[in-house]
Amino acid sequence: MVIPNIAVDAVRHLGAVAPDWPGHPWWHWVVFTLINIVFILVMIIGVIYIERRAIAWFAARTGPNRTGPFGLLQAIADAIKILLKEFITPMNADKIVFWIAPAVVFAPVIMIFAVVPFMNGAMLADLNIGILFVVAISSISTVGVFMAGWSSSNKYSMIGAMRLVASVISYEIPVVLALAGVVLIAGSLSLNDIVLAQQTVPFILVQPLGFFLLFVGGCAEINRSPFDLMEADSELVAGFHTEYSGMKFAMYYLGEYGEAVVMATIISTLFLGGWQWPFLPGWLWLILKIFLVFFTMVWTRATLPRVRIDQLMAVAWKFLFPLALINLLVTALQVLAGWPEDLLWLMGIVNYVLLGVLILLWSRMYKVGWGRIEV
Amino acid sequence: MDLGLLAPEISLAATAVAVILLDLFVERKGALAIVSVIGLMVSAAFTIAMFGDPAQVSFNGTLAVDSFALFFKLLFLGIAALVILASVDYVSKFERFQGEYHALILLSALGMLLMATATELITIYVSLELASISLYILAGFLKDPKSTESSIKYLLLGATASAVLLYGMALVFGSTGTTQLGEITQQVQALGAQGVADNPALVLGIILLIAGFGFKIAAVPFQMWVPDVYEGAPTPIVAYLSVGSKAAGFAVILRVFSSAFGLPDWLSLDWGMVFAVLAAIGMTVGNVSALPQTNIKRMFGYSSIAQAGYLMVGLAAMGVASAGETIGQSTILFFLLSYSLANLGAFIAIIAITNKIDSDLIEDFSGLFKRSPLLTLGLTLCLISLIGMPPAAGFMAKFYIFGGAAQNGLLWLVIIAVLNSVVSAFYYLRVVKVMWLGEPASVEKVPSSGALRVALTITCLGVLFVGILPGFAMKAAELAAKMFGI
Amino acid sequence: MAFDIAFWLLAIVSVVAALAVVTLRNIFRAALSLVLCFITVAGLYVTLSADFLAAVQILVYVGAISILLILGIMLTRDVQLGSPTNKLRFPAFLAAIVFFGTVAWAVLNTTWGISPQGPLEPTTATLAGKLFGENGYILTVEIAAVLLLAAILGAIVLVREK
Repeated sequence: MVIPNIAVDAVRHLGAVAPDWPGHPWWHWVVFTLINIVFILVMIIGVIYIERRAIAWFAARTGPNRTGPFGLLQAIADAIKILLKEFITPMNADKIVFWIAPAVVFAPVIMIFAVVPFMNGAMLADLNIGILFVVAISSISTVGVFMAGWSSSNKYSMIGAMRLVASVISYEIPVVLALAGVVLIAGSLSLNDIVLAQQTVPFILVQPLGFFLLFVGGCAEINRSPFDLMEADSELVAGFHTEYSGMKFAMYYLGEYGEAVVMATIISTLFLGGWQWPFLPGWLWLILKIFLVFFTMVWTRATLPRVRIDQLMAVAWKFLFPLALINLLVTALQVLAGWPEDLLWLMGIVNYVLLGVLILLWSRMYKVGWGRIEV
Repeated sequence: MDLGLLAPEISLAATAVAVILLDLFVERKGALAIVSVIGLMVSAAFTIAMFGDPAQVSFNGTLAVDSFALFFKLLFLGIAALVILASVDYVSKFERFQGEYHALILLSALGMLLMATATELITIYVSLELASISLYILAGFLKDPKSTESSIKYLLLGATASAVLLYGMALVFGSTGTTQLGEITQQVQALGAQGVADNPALVLGIILLIAGFGFKIAAVPFQMWVPDVYEGAPTPIVAYLSVGSKAAGFAVILRVFSSAFGLPDWLSLDWGMVFAVLAAIGMTVGNVSALPQTNIKRMFGYSSIAQAGYLMVGLAAMGVASAGETIGQSTILFFLLSYSLANLGAFIAIIAITNKIDSDLIEDFSGLFKRSPLLTLGLTLCLISLIGMPPAAGFMAKFYIFGGAAQNGLLWLVIIAVLNSVVSAFYYLRVVKVMWLGEPASVEKVPSSGALRVALTITCLGVLFVGILPGFAMKAAELAAKMFGI
Repeated sequence: MAFDIAFWLLAIVSVVAALAVVTLRNIFRAALSLVLCFITVAGLYVTLSADFLAAVQILVYVGAISILLILGIMLTRDVQLGSPTNKLRFPAFLAAIVFFGTVAWAVLNTTWGISPQGPLEPTTATLAGKLFGENGYILTVEIAAVLLLAAILGAIVLVREK
């Protein structure tokens, strides 16, 4: 974690502030591409460590603690072990597709970090479509999952892939609508501008419902528990990557945690103020926030049981989707009334009350039977 | 922005949504048809209230409310109302989705309304898709193999036609830099004859537009879908499609070709001749293919191709006529009105008959006069109108449209058209002969519901009224076409 | 220079991918080629400074339409047969060639007007004004909304059992 952050600082001091697209010194691209790749890999190792230790902690175990100080090097040891394993291609597999699939899943994860600001303007490219870019690029990895599921010629892989696609398509809608609320208040799609707009108050205090929707929908999109049906090991062996081994399996493993890092980064950037906070340097705050969000995800995983597939769809369409629409409408009205400038505190209170009321209301409806899916 | 100008459309959309919602709560599904018809009448009332106001352009030039648009809006609303009345019996057999059926008809009508009133290529395209997609779905509503086949064929060919249309629009936009019909005219005039000759993309764009719209009106050579779709789709939908979709297609063609490409006479002469050739081929292909048909829905499919051919005679006249003359436009409007009445009437009678005898074959219509004299009389009147014999409306329509073409030097086309009318008499009169002179298969009466009787009465009276006293309808058509004059 | 390289790269890949869509026997691979084609078209939009359009292209075409397409393929029986051809293959090929030739000839022989204005930067605000603003295409957008309503109704009607 040390190297990339020094680089970020170095670039910052070299004057790479507020880059725009195009028209940059060439080294800007090189430096930030390297930073992004190293950052994502190191963060993945970090979150894997957090996940294993925290889950162990919740289960009253110790977790990995032998390799390196506090078991910090466990993930690296695992990686070496996996790399040395044989890679097996199933006989009936569609070989080309089978080989390309892991790359298609992993590449978007790295691409997304192109628009994430580590400090004010310290980013690969400050696109004016920032958040839209994130949403668009992250949708590509779904194709990779599909490729894996199909080309393995294994029914469990295929069912896993189809479940994932069904859930990703359903959860995409509330997630994007939740993002729209933030965009409305910030008045820009650029992630840098969105972070700058949170100078006084992070958006979690004004957009609690949006945060909640993004968190739940995000967990489902990156198939983390309790929504990890596409690789439910009790039903589907390991989901779409059942047939993968060795290096290619490692790519999925990395891709999965990479997506978790991406989601945690997006949540921290949009709702927790990104790199904004006093005292510590911004990039450190961003990393701490990412870990905090990820820890919350681990927490939910350790707490909640896995849902059924029909419940998964019901949550998306009957719970998150209407709430997302209401959130967007309310936010739009508030922005129209000029609350973000003058009455930010009132907006926060109103939205928190709304969050409570809506969630209570909808959980009641669920009890009456709205959670049922009619087939 | 003036929402008042959109009142007919907004009320129609609201009715469609209301019907879907009502479907959830109402037990007696018959109420849905009543609500739909009331919604159409409200929309028509808004439209009539706007009649006579000076033409207005709104929404950044995407919308024009003029007498032409209002004429077509009333026509579409009337067609939709008659179709809903005609499908009351038909729909009552459905176990599910009655609300969706009515809502889709209303949404399709909404698309047609917008097609008549849109003056900008993108808006025209989106409205056209709204009308078409609703019709694709309605064609497959029965979900039996034949209905599904017709829906899929309609969808695939329709999507191809849409792609062609869009390609044409893109080329026109690329050459002129605008999608507004009025500005396209200015650009084309600025280019001049030499400029257009140096600009083959624009010419190709116009040709592709003709092809794309040609599909909608079932003009040869874009008519392949017609017989299969007509045979498989639910009969009320076939009625709707043969009349509404065609009229909407003509509305758009009239609007686009007279306001965007109508002004330099040399240009309109060119596309006028294209339409003349298409008309001649269309009439002949349609009528000759209709002759050996044994299924009445297929026969009407081919007959509608032929009728599109007659209508295109008017388009040819419109192109050949000098700028400012609107005889082509007004005769097309009059023909569309009379064709809609007659074709709808014929289909309503066919719906009533096939509901009972459960067959689309012409031979099974044998001896219907003895089983249901009034229905037979109505169907005969409509068939006579489609042939173009007095006293029905079709006679006056053909008289006007061929007269307009002859005045503009298209005598050869008129001769072909008249010969074709004689050919068409064969297959229309064969149905009449079977019904009046054939031996009935059983002596059972053919019952018909109140809604069907009302619809048939309206259409038959309309056919007679327009046929005997054409002055009123002609005056309305001339008024509607006048806005194209200078 | 960089834009030229990007253009030719994207253009060649997209044409090859589009050809692969129609020639590949394996229908799943054909769908994947379609995805590639969509992505390269998005790349072409980027070279034209249409960044918003590029992102929407990927979001809608790659993220939604092609995914549904592939889902449809997976739910279809007899996929293994691939996409069979029939005896109309040759006439269809001929017609396509003639159409392509006509369009290519027309496009190459036209003197296209070139806008003197430079690319917009940023694009989003202007686009929003054009789509939803007072002097924009708000009516068209609203009609598209009704169109989607009709399509959703249709999907429900056609898919659910009687």
